[in-house]
Amino acid sequence: MAEMHLIGQIKGASGFPDQSLFCKWGIHAGGAWRVMAGLREGQTQVDSPQNEDYAAWSHPIDLHFATKGLQGWPKIHFQVWHLDSFGRTELYGYGHCHVPTSPGMHKMECPTWRPAGTTREQIAQMFVGGGPQLRNSDLIYSGADRYHLHTLAMGKVHLELGVMLRNFDKYGIEC
Amino acid sequence: MEGVRSDRASVFLLMVNGQIETADFPEHDDIYCRYCFVFGQDWVITSGLEEGITQMTRKSRDDRQAFVINFPLDVSFKSTNPHGWPQLVVHAYGLDIFGKDVVRGYGVVHVPITPGRHTLRLPMFVPESSSRFQQLLSWMMSRRPEYTDPKVVAHGEGREVTRVRSQGYVTVTLNVVMKDMKKLGYDVTPSDVSHPVMADSGAPLTATTAPSS
Repeated sequence: MAEMHLIGQIKGASGFPDQSLFCKWGIHAGGAWRVMAGLREGQTQVDSPQNEDYAAWSHPIDLHFATKGLQGWPKIHFQVWHLDSFGRTELYGYGHCHVPTSPGMHKMECPTWRPAGTTREQIAQMFVGGGPQLRNSDLIYSGADRYHLHTLAMGKVHLELGVMLRNFDKYGIEC
Repeated sequence: MEGVRSDRASVFLLMVNGQIETADFPEHDDIYCRYCFVFGQDWVITSGLEEGITQMTRKSRDDRQAFVINFPLDVSFKSTNPHGWPQLVVHAYGLDIFGKDVVRGYGVVHVPITPGRHTLRLPMFVPESSSRFQQLLSWMMSRRPEYTDPKVVAHGEGREVTRVRSQGYVTVTLNVVMKDMKKLGYDVTPSDVSHPVMADSGAPLTATTAPSS
């Protein structure tokens, strides 16, 4: 079986309307892929930066995959949340990106979005916070049922991922 | 003996050198750093120091407002499995008005997995008190919350309960060299992956050249 190591960090986020951000992340991979070691989901710390618009998470990722096929190459998906001064959490963005297929270090920026909701919901959100969330979080990384969603642009999640492949060339796979 | 030989065949080496170059903390005047490497169970340090402590530096009195640390890092690892790849944890301390050590930030980064020279900028964050009462108490005692073990910042689990404030950067440059990665089948840069099609088209060529050599 070919193996892949994914070693890197969810570095942080920028461009969101407020500070005090954290991120829930997870890995989604097809049936041929198996996680041999490492955490496949997690939640970062909550950062409120002192000087700039960049929440630092420095959250390590170290995963070891083994695979029998290329279908369903792993993806990382994120939910960025905001923690307000009352300790309430509010959804700030969804996003996903594929793990790069070529070996090496990759600096990545993943744009995020959130559901817009109806006008009434938007006005309510302005006063009391909150806002619509996805009932089915599969929509973050699947393209099947997106067409009836209305979304708004949010900030970016910054990643630095190292990809190391083993024995892919032995099976005739070019990455 | 056989076990030893097969063990040696699956070991690769990672040599890292470089320096903790500079720090950038806009609100503070004195900084020193400690560093340590955090790595998985399969990893062993073969030479160099796993942890260290830098000199106390003062901010430059010019436009840069920089702390120059220029602290050498030089360490070699060996391992059988890239999982648990080493991470560099840097934690910075300063002095408060009473001359007591106060933590100014924790930062963490993976040692790059590709050979070459890398400049890394680590955001430095400090944990915050979890409640208003704790905040008041720490202000009165002039003591900041800090991690009992700085290595927690290199772990993915248990991070969700911590609230932090990021307040500066540390810049580190690292040179990375590896041995025997390709021999064990690992590709760390795109050029390492041998292209089977090219190998096929080159096959008759090697067949013709083989007898002459």
